[in-house]
Formats: sequence, structure tokens, C-alpha cells
Amino acid sequence: MDNVLNKEIKEIIEACPEVGRILDEYGIGCVPCSVGSCLLKDVVGIHNLDPEREATLMYRIEKAIYPDRDVPKPVVDATKKAAPKKISYSPPVKKLVDEHVLIKRLLALIPTIVDYIESSLNVDKDLILRCVDFIRTYADKYHHMKEEDILFKYVDENAEIIQIMYKDHDTGRDHIRQVVEGAEKGNKAQIREHLLGYRELLTQHIKKEDEILYPWIDRQLSTTQVGEMFRRCNEADASVGDELPRKYEKFIAELEEKFLQEVTK
Amino acid sequence: MSGCPGSRTIDFSEKTNQEGSETGKRPSQLRQWPIQMHLVSPHAPYFQGKDILLAADCTAFALGDFHKDYLKGKSIGIACPKLDSDQEVYVEKIKSLIDDAKINTLTVIIMQVPCCFGLAQIAKEGAEKASRKIPVKQVVVGLEGNILSEEWI
Repeated sequence: MDNVLNKEIKEIIEACPEVGRILDEYGIGCVPCSVGSCLLKDVVGIHNLDPEREATLMYRIEKAIYPDRDVPKPVVDATKKAAPKKISYSPPVKKLVDEHVLIKRLLALIPTIVDYIESSLNVDKDLILRCVDFIRTYADKYHHMKEEDILFKYVDENAEIIQIMYKDHDTGRDHIRQVVEGAEKGNKAQIREHLLGYRELLTQHIKKEDEILYPWIDRQLSTTQVGEMFRRCNEADASVGDELPRKYEKFIAELEEKFLQEVTK
Repeated sequence: MSGCPGSRTIDFSEKTNQEGSETGKRPSQLRQWPIQMHLVSPHAPYFQGKDILLAADCTAFALGDFHKDYLKGKSIGIACPKLDSDQEVYVEKIKSLIDDAKINTLTVIIMQVPCCFGLAQIAKEGAEKASRKIPVKQVVVGLEGNILSEEWI
């Protein structure tokens, strides 16, 4: 089993799709991952399952890969569903989780915005560029930069999960470049494809961070590091001023009001 | 079994579950004096920029590994929210620890008895009055020395 633990998850699932289905049952969503280069041992470790569930999961994976092998069954109730763990974040990480909420409010509006653009005679370039400004300034500069410059520095930046987060950030930036190009050209199809692509990417990205990555990082932080990270994040926020988050909260509220009216027309 | 849970008589001397090692000597992790909240000064050098443990008196006796698991690497102030007088002084000292000593974090460790939560309240009040903001953690210790909860508040 040790050689399997050190294999990339994508390779394991390709060879034995049942492993993907088993992982999915445990809330470990590796199947749709675009990278899949995490090692099986890291995938299991990062999800912080209770020991009984982890033992059952490993038993089922080993049986799926080696059906003829005599694997000792763990003495646990395999059908027992453990109560979901309440996630408790440290204060600096909680602040990052709270910032996701505003980003998710924009993501929720994107399908309506895309429909509005498609049904309009001319592309509302101003609206698109204001959304792009929110994404580039609030989501990317204000939020992602704190992750990249501060949070990720407290763990091994070469860890696969961190590399996936960096890749997601870059893919998101590519989508937004395409949205701007679409707006400049008046290309509705290009705007639609890349706004929806950004929405899908960030929805999964935020879910991974809130449920897996942030708790994993929090488990590794000492009390001293929590205090230090809290101070560094506060300094980063102070460098852009209190006005920036307030400005974008107001923007999202106005956008919600505008598109709520569009939907109810 | 009536009366205040903080002073109710409970005898667990027959407890047989005594896992752990008694071999080897454990060094003290205390790095300062004094430690009582009325006696310490927020301007003492051992508080400057440090992680602080605000411990209810009884916790050090209840927790077998108090030094190793909670005191190590921290400076400390101890208090009893049930018996100590002039506790408004504690609020001001915590405020001063945050604003003047610029402490990094504050961990409040209390017993599970209801009156002990008064110390967590004192810590919250001090932190709310301070102009700087720092992470504050609450650790609740069971009467038999088990950790009941540990969370940032």
C-alpha cells in the first residue's frame, strides 16, 4: 500500500475509477480536479478525517485497488456517518473567509449579468469594466495578494495544494483578461465564456480554501504565528485604507439592487 | 449536589485512568516574576511583544502538562475571577498589555466552572477597550484536567 500512498491521485483514479467514487463519498472531491498531482497520502491527510473514518477509507481504497488481497478490515462501523466537524478559523484566516463572502456575492450575480449583456443591444462596457475592477482590485489585489504574500508563506509553498491555488489565481487572471478583451471588441460570446469560466473557477476555489486549505493551514500555525499573521494582514489592509473594502461593498450592494430589478421586471 | 459548581465538593481520588509517563524531570517554563495580575506591570520587559497566557489560578493545578503545553514560550498573568478584588484593574492592565506592551496574542485559560468564565469576560473587555486588535484564544479545562475546548474568540 505504501507505493500507492506515494502515487499521484490522478494516476490512481485513472487506473481505478472506484477510488474516485470512494473519495467522493468522504467529501474528497479529487475527480474533477484539473491538476490531480497531489499524492494519495497528502490527499487523505489534508482532509483531517477522524481516525476511524480514515482507517475505513484506506481499507476501502486498498480493497478497490487490490481486490484479491487479504486486507485486514478495520474494526469500525463503515456505514457510520461522522457528524460534520465545525470549522473554527483563527482570526486572520477568518478575515480571509469573510472576504470570500463579498466575492461570492459577485459570483452569484454573474449569470444574470451575462444574460443582461446578451439581451442588450450594445455591450454595457462600463458595467463589465466595473465588475473587472472589483475582481482585479478587491478579489485579486486586496484578497489574493494577502494569501500569496502572507498566508501561503507559513506553509510549504511547493505543496501541491498551494501550487493549485496559485494556478487558480493565474487562470482567474487569464479569464479576466479575456473578459476585458471581449468588452473592448464588443464580443458577447467571449465575455460570456470567460465570465462564466471565472465564476466556475472561483466557486470551486473558494470552497477548497474555506473547507480544506484554510483549516489545514490553521492546524499548522502556532499561537505566535497566528498573532504575527494577524498583524501582517492588518498592516496590509491599512496600506490600502479602510475606504477600499467599503467602496466595493457599496458596489456589490448597488449591483445586487440593479439586477434584482432586472430579474423581477 | 446543590450550590455553586465552583466550590462544590467532588472527590476523584479513586480515578484509575492515569495514562502518561512519570519518568524524567520536567523543567519549569516560567520565565518571569511576579505573575499575579495585581502584582505584574504591563510595562515589564517580559511582556513586550510576547504571547500572553492569562490563567485562572486553578488551571495550573488541574492540568498535568500546564507548563509544557500552555506556559512554554509565553509570559503569564494569573487571577481568580471568583475571589480576587478590584478586578476592573485587570481590565485596564489587559488594555495596557495590548496597547502599550503590544503583546502578540492573548490566551485565556479557565476552568469549566461558571464563575471562571468571568476571567474570559475580563479579557474580552480589556481587548475591546484597547485600540490595537490582537487574536484572543479561550481554553476551557475540565475539573479532571482534560481540555474541554480551545478556540479563538
